[in-house]
Amino acid sequence: MATFSLAKSLVNPALKLVLKHNQCSYLVNTTGLPVLTPLSIVLRRNYAEKQVFERTKPHCNVGTIGHVDHGKTTLTAAITKVLSDLNLAQKKGYTDIDNAPEEKARGITINVAHVEYQTEQRHYGHTDCPGHADYIKNMITGTAQMDGAILVVAATDGVMPQTREHLLLAKQIGIQHVVVFINKVDAADEEMVELVEMEIRELMTEMGYDGDNTPVIKGSALCALEGKNPEIGSEAITKLLQEVDAFIPTPVRELDKPFLLPVESVHSIPGRGTVVTGRLHRGVLKKGTECEIVGHGKVMKTTVTGVEMFHKTLEEAQAGDQLGALVRSIKREQIKRGMVMAKPGTVKAHDNLEAAVYILSKEEGGRSKPFTSFIQLQMFSMTWDCATQVNIPEKEMVMPGEDATLHLRLLKPMVCEAGQRFTLRLGDLTLGTGVITKINKNLSEDDRIKLLEGKKAREKAAAKK
Amino acid sequence: MKQKVKSYSKMIFQLVRSLHTGPVCRAAESSLLAKLRKKTGYTIANCKKALEMHNNDTDKAEAWLNEQAQAMGWAKATKLAGRTALQGLVAVKFDKNHGALVELNCETDFVAKNDKFHKMIEDATLACFKFAHTHMQSKGPVTKMELDSEQLGNLASEGGKKLSETLALFIGSVGENAVLRRAECWKANSNDVKIAGYTHPAPTVAGDYSAGKYGALLAYKQANDHEDIGKQLCQHIVGCAPRKIGDKEADKPAKNTDDETCLIFQEYLLDPSYTVEEILQQNKVEVIDYVRFSCGESVEANMPGVEKQPLDTVQTMQ
Repeated sequence: MATFSLAKSLVNPALKLVLKHNQCSYLVNTTGLPVLTPLSIVLRRNYAEKQVFERTKPHCNVGTIGHVDHGKTTLTAAITKVLSDLNLAQKKGYTDIDNAPEEKARGITINVAHVEYQTEQRHYGHTDCPGHADYIKNMITGTAQMDGAILVVAATDGVMPQTREHLLLAKQIGIQHVVVFINKVDAADEEMVELVEMEIRELMTEMGYDGDNTPVIKGSALCALEGKNPEIGSEAITKLLQEVDAFIPTPVRELDKPFLLPVESVHSIPGRGTVVTGRLHRGVLKKGTECEIVGHGKVMKTTVTGVEMFHKTLEEAQAGDQLGALVRSIKREQIKRGMVMAKPGTVKAHDNLEAAVYILSKEEGGRSKPFTSFIQLQMFSMTWDCATQVNIPEKEMVMPGEDATLHLRLLKPMVCEAGQRFTLRLGDLTLGTGVITKINKNLSEDDRIKLLEGKKAREKAAAKK
Repeated sequence: MKQKVKSYSKMIFQLVRSLHTGPVCRAAESSLLAKLRKKTGYTIANCKKALEMHNNDTDKAEAWLNEQAQAMGWAKATKLAGRTALQGLVAVKFDKNHGALVELNCETDFVAKNDKFHKMIEDATLACFKFAHTHMQSKGPVTKMELDSEQLGNLASEGGKKLSETLALFIGSVGENAVLRRAECWKANSNDVKIAGYTHPAPTVAGDYSAGKYGALLAYKQANDHEDIGKQLCQHIVGCAPRKIGDKEADKPAKNTDDETCLIFQEYLLDPSYTVEEILQQNKVEVIDYVRFSCGESVEANMPGVEKQPLDTVQTMQ
């Protein structure tokens, strides 16, 4: 290898000369080109500067939560500094993380900051979480996700009144694993740090986390950033990252889940049969796989007899592939857009859902007016759409720019599962976007008839009671 | 065999450890610092300082802390005063003839969800409500009084303390900036004028006090033989944010009903098949005045400490 690169460096200047010469005589001397092409490929490899993301480690999303002044951003900066010394991250200054100018003016983070780094084990995306409503919105619309969180508490202040609310948010967005970092121990003594640890464990237990077994790391992000007192500085950061590696589990990749293909269109190919096309949502699909086609009130079992992509047969399709699947003994008329092809038993059609929804503000393209219960909206998810009646359980109305829990009742059952994203539209306006949080028992015939009743009938029924 | 030995040694180790750490843990729990912190809730650093100053005499330390809390709150408040606070709550309290609408801001909405914050805004609202009862001169059908943050701070809350003092204590305890932004105190001067209030999100049990992200006060006249729709009208105002009541002769309805800014031409929120005007006629209601607060809507330019930057610097910096 060494000799090869030596040879290359020897050859390079010569090549450049040849190239220069060639550029001038390009138009005249066309016969010289074929000789040059293989060499120029070698050359290009030498000045390929654009970095390519290498997927060698599993990815995990973490975020920091905590009081505005307890040093979340300093901790993030310290993490990148410590890891950059090991060549695992690019060092980010405090100012790079608080990257919007108005944030600099205020000295606090308002937008979700995205920082990447890696440890020996994993690659991380790091998010900051500035406010409750902001984060909920990001979560619902899917711009930010956390698989685990680092709660930052300053040893000088201890648990603040709003720390409870921080943990409440973590709980609400389904974070199961929280690692605690007690910051600013350089400004506190041992007794204080011990007390803070005790308080935080108590609070974690109270909020439904396993407080006794939560990893608590004590250190000073500032020391790590300035390279002082390594025992509470860089070593504490290293320890924190070890705990994060160990305590927060790697999320299951889409590829490892049972396959699911929302049907986009159906074709009938003479002599071969029916072909279902769509983008494979998750999992892998092979020839010969048993599958179930569900939706529009039907469930059909069949087998995939062939998988094709761009008119070529494919051994194995992976999540994200746009493909066509040949299915056995099913007529084209039996399958409709909006149905879902999946591993038998993994999906079901539902019509009674609970969802977390973010309603777009007027500036974001939504409506200027709020809406109240019983409004009928069109719900779009995967490749299907269906009219749905909306009920607001916790409020009297939902204002634009707000998030809310909604009960959705579909006019006919469609394939739904918890975690699935969807859009709500009214006429030509997108009203909001959401995530299904819970599937309730399917509607009875009576309930379904009630969905179609107008306001008058509802009032009449209410008056009777 | 090996495993057995291992598990035994583990058990012994745990036993020894529990013997060893047990007393230490208890000592920490019963330590004066922990006690004082639990009892008073002041920051750990301050509790520590208090104990050091008074030779670990908890009673004296506590007394000192309470004494110092006000000063420390002021210090913290002054230190944080420049920071933008646009989150928070709007609270309303009303009876038949009086109403108060108050906005209290803080930096993050985590704080706005905290009980201490709710207590703070309730105190402020009650103070304004009391002010509406006692200090207002009669003029016209409704007397209205707008208060800015300085005037608000000078109001006395329950117990005689100034609101600004209570606020400083609050800032000292949460460590975030908070601002008593503005308030409206209303008093109806004749018996046929009624006042209603509404906040969104509304509490599940309707009462005369509530707090939310948006709030409105409404003064109206309604004949007694009809169902009272003051609250519903208030909800409409909170939801649809009209700019003015509108005059049937002087104003014209907008072409697109969604852009309508006059109250009377707007589609009624609770039944879009009617306009507000039709609802008013049906129920024999006359709207005299209304006011609507949306939390954090005060213009950024008026905020202390934030300099407006020209657009091009914003772009180059990113």
